[in-house]
Amino acid sequence: MSHEKDKLFAEAKTPQPVTREESRRDFLKEVMNMQGGEKILECIQCGSCAGGCPTRFAMDYSPMQIIKMINLGMKEKVLSSSTIWVCSSCYTCATRCPRDVSFATLMMSLRNKAIRENLVKNGAKLNFHKYFFEVVNKYGRLHEPELLVKLLDKTDFRSLRSNASLGLRLFKKGKLQIRAPKIKQTSWLCTILEKTNEKESQ
Amino acid sequence: MNILLRKVGGSMSQKPSIGVFICHCGGNISDTVDVARVKETIGSIDQVKVAETFEYVCSNPGQEMIKKAVKEQGLDRAVVASCSPRMHLDTFRQVVKSAGMNPYFLEMVNIREQCSWVHDDKAKATNKAIALVRAAVQRARYLEPLTPKNLKVTESVLVIGGGIAGIYSALELADKGYQVYLVERNPSIGGHMSQLSKVFPTFDCSACILTPKMVSVAHHPNIKIFTSAEPIAVGGSSGNFEVKIRVKPRYVDLKKCIVCGECAKKCPVKKPSSFEENLVQEKAIYVPFKQAIPNASVIDKDYCLYLTRGVCGICEKFCKGEAINFKQEDELMDLKVGAIIVSTGYSLMDPKLVGQYGFGLHPDIITNLQFERLMLQGLHKPSTGEVPKKVAFILCVGSRTTTAEGCAYCCKIGCMTAIKQALLLNKTVPEAEPWIFYTDIRAHGKGYEEFYAKAREHFTTFVRGRPAEVVREGNSLIVKAEDTLLGKHIEEPFDMVVLSPALVPNKGAKELADMLGIDLGPDGFFLEVHHKLRGVETKREGIYVAGTAQGPKDVRETTMESMATASKVATFLGKGEISVSPEVAYLIPKRCDLCGTCIDQCPTRAIKKGKNEVIIDPISCIGCGICVPICPKEAIDLKNTTEEQLIAQIKGIAEGEETALRIIAFVEKMTAYGSADLGGQSRRSYSPEVRILRVPSIARLGIKHVLHAFAAGADGVIFVEGDDSVFREDKLRERVIHFKKDLGKFGIQSLRLQSTTTTLPQYEKMLTLFDDFVERVKKMGPITREKREEVKKYLEGDKIVA
Amino acid sequence: MKYAFYPGCSAQSTAKEYEDSAKAISKVLDIELVEVPDWNCCGAIDAVYAFKPLYSIALAARNLALAEKMQMDIVTLCSACYFTLSRTNKILKEDSGTKSKVDEALESAGFNYNGGVRVRHFADVLLSDIGLQKIKEKVKVQLTTLNVASYYGCFLVRPPDICNFDDPEHPMRLDELVETLGASKVDYYGKTRCCGGSLGITDEEIMLKMSKDILLNAKNSGANCMATACPLCHFNLDARQKDIESRFDVKINLPVLHFTQLIGLAFGIEPKQLGLHRNCVSPRKIFPLTVANASKAGKSAADRNL
Repeated sequence: MSHEKDKLFAEAKTPQPVTREESRRDFLKEVMNMQGGEKILECIQCGSCAGGCPTRFAMDYSPMQIIKMINLGMKEKVLSSSTIWVCSSCYTCATRCPRDVSFATLMMSLRNKAIRENLVKNGAKLNFHKYFFEVVNKYGRLHEPELLVKLLDKTDFRSLRSNASLGLRLFKKGKLQIRAPKIKQTSWLCTILEKTNEKESQ
Repeated sequence: MNILLRKVGGSMSQKPSIGVFICHCGGNISDTVDVARVKETIGSIDQVKVAETFEYVCSNPGQEMIKKAVKEQGLDRAVVASCSPRMHLDTFRQVVKSAGMNPYFLEMVNIREQCSWVHDDKAKATNKAIALVRAAVQRARYLEPLTPKNLKVTESVLVIGGGIAGIYSALELADKGYQVYLVERNPSIGGHMSQLSKVFPTFDCSACILTPKMVSVAHHPNIKIFTSAEPIAVGGSSGNFEVKIRVKPRYVDLKKCIVCGECAKKCPVKKPSSFEENLVQEKAIYVPFKQAIPNASVIDKDYCLYLTRGVCGICEKFCKGEAINFKQEDELMDLKVGAIIVSTGYSLMDPKLVGQYGFGLHPDIITNLQFERLMLQGLHKPSTGEVPKKVAFILCVGSRTTTAEGCAYCCKIGCMTAIKQALLLNKTVPEAEPWIFYTDIRAHGKGYEEFYAKAREHFTTFVRGRPAEVVREGNSLIVKAEDTLLGKHIEEPFDMVVLSPALVPNKGAKELADMLGIDLGPDGFFLEVHHKLRGVETKREGIYVAGTAQGPKDVRETTMESMATASKVATFLGKGEISVSPEVAYLIPKRCDLCGTCIDQCPTRAIKKGKNEVIIDPISCIGCGICVPICPKEAIDLKNTTEEQLIAQIKGIAEGEETALRIIAFVEKMTAYGSADLGGQSRRSYSPEVRILRVPSIARLGIKHVLHAFAAGADGVIFVEGDDSVFREDKLRERVIHFKKDLGKFGIQSLRLQSTTTTLPQYEKMLTLFDDFVERVKKMGPITREKREEVKKYLEGDKIVA
Repeated sequence: MKYAFYPGCSAQSTAKEYEDSAKAISKVLDIELVEVPDWNCCGAIDAVYAFKPLYSIALAARNLALAEKMQMDIVTLCSACYFTLSRTNKILKEDSGTKSKVDEALESAGFNYNGGVRVRHFADVLLSDIGLQKIKEKVKVQLTTLNVASYYGCFLVRPPDICNFDDPEHPMRLDELVETLGASKVDYYGKTRCCGGSLGITDEEIMLKMSKDILLNAKNSGANCMATACPLCHFNLDARQKDIESRFDVKINLPVLHFTQLIGLAFGIEPKQLGLHRNCVSPRKIFPLTVANASKAGKSAADRNL
């Protein structure tokens, strides 16, 4: 406890600039080259995005604040925020933004960035994207039960129970896809995966 | 000396006698340029009778030296190589004039701002100076005597738009003694100011300060008002415009109407009142508003039963003054005026374009202008008639918006209007709760910051956050926003929501601009010539702009601007005549076949179809030269930048073995040239291989001139056009693409031609381009002699038709 | 009218009834849906994109390449697929760097896409290409007892430069369809509010709250059923409704139909053919009212057994 306080007092005495390791412009430039980040300097911080965001209540930083932080080069804070993972891609923000900033698209790009740079704090989210990809790459289509099974935390009894009850409900209605929907031409999946991996690293 | 008897259209038939005067400029030139060597080299050119250097040519002794040389040596042309012509061209023209020479026989060469001040290598700077002076000498051989025309002006003014801006300009000019025609589209003058309740920050009653002015306009002996009227055609030229006005029928005789109101009482048709911003219904026959000028009824032809279906006509029966006349028709009239003022005002952007606020889906979601009307009707909710207590003001609805439906600019008055309305609400409704949702509060004018403080003192709630949406829930309107200062979500119910829409130019601005031959800016408002120094002038002399037609502003700025406009008009018309430059386009009639290509291209509509050939109006012509290269028969030329003069100058610069690499930069004479001078004043060095040739506009140039440049010895050609030029950037680009294709036919790399535009202060961009271009051409190497011969042969075959 | 049909992954599993009802009404309206042969997952908004962006674009582009070969517009039932495929078109059109990389990847697998395929949502095909007039002509049963809250969700109307089926703030086209079928439309807040979409798997709580708000608003505005145009939205609002009720201790019991099922009912098609037995919140309570009307029009009594 007092160790924390000492740290705060020390920081207050010699205020540090907002970013330390990298130059502020570096992260900003990276973001400007991402899908959705092209017009980020246009933002006038009006807050329309934050006001209409349906998942704002679950975010640690509002969409508007995320943009401010990007502008200040606060890479770590941005990529490890809950905001980019709780965004439901509803595009309400992008539709209403008076400066034509596509914030929802930027969220998708930032997720990818966080994954690439190993800055994902939420393991469940990382796994979701990883396993989704794996399942789709295996069959060419999504096999939801397989995805869910992979994601299940086998130690969380409550979630296991509720998932099982949901599964049963769906099964009764014939909505549970038991057999994996494999496409015929699965070979091309390997080909394009190889090729796109190669292109990504270029 | 028979200098003045030399024939016009001078070619080299008589041997010219040229005097060249090179200035030391107190070391400013001579420290870098070896003026003695320049004198020696130039002095040996044919027909140069006199070549002198002098410490300060612009000084009194310097001027005397020139005069003496002209008189005693029988010179008929003079070349002064010194500072920029933008400094002393007029000075030296006066000097030669006083010695008996036509001032247009004087040529100036810029060897200071564009030579000695910007090059460090003395040898190269001197070589460049020699090339520039040689070019001027060669051009001088083809100079002709020209005389500016003095034109009598019509001492009357047309004011288009009868709002506060038009009213103020009209009164100022009428008081100065000018005849003013005030043309207004609506059935009454007054504009939007007549709809306002009180103005900020003084809380003056808007109608109380406007109406006396409106009455003055009505009674002023020098002002004639036309309402329900619009200009439909503009002809003539600056100082003598001919404007056709269409006056739409009112169906009520202005002289007979006594405003008794019987007609409206009996009229069976109701329609939304535009003065009341559609909040209230009025009859199809109505008086625009109580203080309307002219104070008379008018019939709305789209709603009147008699005019649409031939039935009813009750008003006519009951009219006490026998003023109703259904037979009235459009009236056309011709006005002759010396100057025109555009004061057509603004409209509010349709808030439906910002759908999230639900305008149009609930009667209590209104605009700030509608709120003004409600204040004057007795503040109430349009839905139930109850007095609203909790009112949300949402700012920036459509303003500061870069998406397609919005306006990128700030509306300037939204913040202050909302603050004013919040304070008025507090005054009129006990326990009122105004909330203002803002992104930034702009309180820029005199007394505005204090006004903002007052609103806070009166407990107006300010929320920093542009709302996401307005939701209708039962009887309430819920505003959803984020308080960005607290990072908190807000969902507040309100009785009424007032939106601050963006301001847009009034309908028909584009058509009017085209009619007048002036420009609109990228924001759609009428464009002034210079942001700081010429804010009320348009690109066309004699046409001015005032008020919100030029851009969003408040009443104070509008009235001040209107008076500035009136002053400018008075200056323009004041002398009774204006001087028109003789550097205009002219026709070589026997070559013209009336193809009409030039007519559409002229930016000021100076060319018209005649009987056997086109007619170029020398008054409207601004001398840009765009018509010259596009004429397929080479039937047009430009005085003082004729084909002969231009080609001689190009050859003069490009020839000579002084340097390995030669680049000609054609630079537009006002903005771009001024920018280069600015670069010189800042002593910004650049490659001396670049030689600047001043042209009226890049529009003047055809592929022929580019080829001449290459044939004569240039290895690269640059075009620099002013950003505010009549030769629009897209047209310039189009032309350059064509040129590059043509160059390809000769095997000349397209990269040897580059073009750019510039604003006055942007010299860094232009000079960096010069340096980069020189590097690029260096790498490409000079053009081979064979290639030059090839181009020369082609040009010689392409003789001008005699 | 022929279209390249892209069912999407959900249509074969959790929203089988959506595909069935779509096919049933297509028969009545003379729409030929030719399934894109061996189509693959579109990438599901950013499910794959977040992990492997270039791969995900190539994934989506393959479907477009296949449709291009068929020389038809690609029509999808799922709003998320509508968005993902449309966005792919936009990226390939505007980002030449990405385009060249994706082209190379596709070529290496033997595919070729030239950007010529238009992506349509099935609702747009019905309303723009067929039109309300033709639909009205096929209505046999007026759904007069239904107060339908049309739910547009996100991707039918946003973002407006990619998905522009209707106005993003106040869409009315599905409501107009509802009225054409004889039902009453319900105006409520939330018709374009996000249901929680893909958050259902990793952030269940958030998704349940978002869907709850929509359902309650619809119900409190007088709706007795909802119509959706996306299998993911339908799943959240219908299949998870029971979880919403228990998590937030509210009673909702609002049947949620795919809009194609609604049209099918109005066309007098057997509920079983429309897969209505698969809807989790039983639409039974609204059936007797409509089926009773249907029996007036002469349908067999067997339809009443569900």
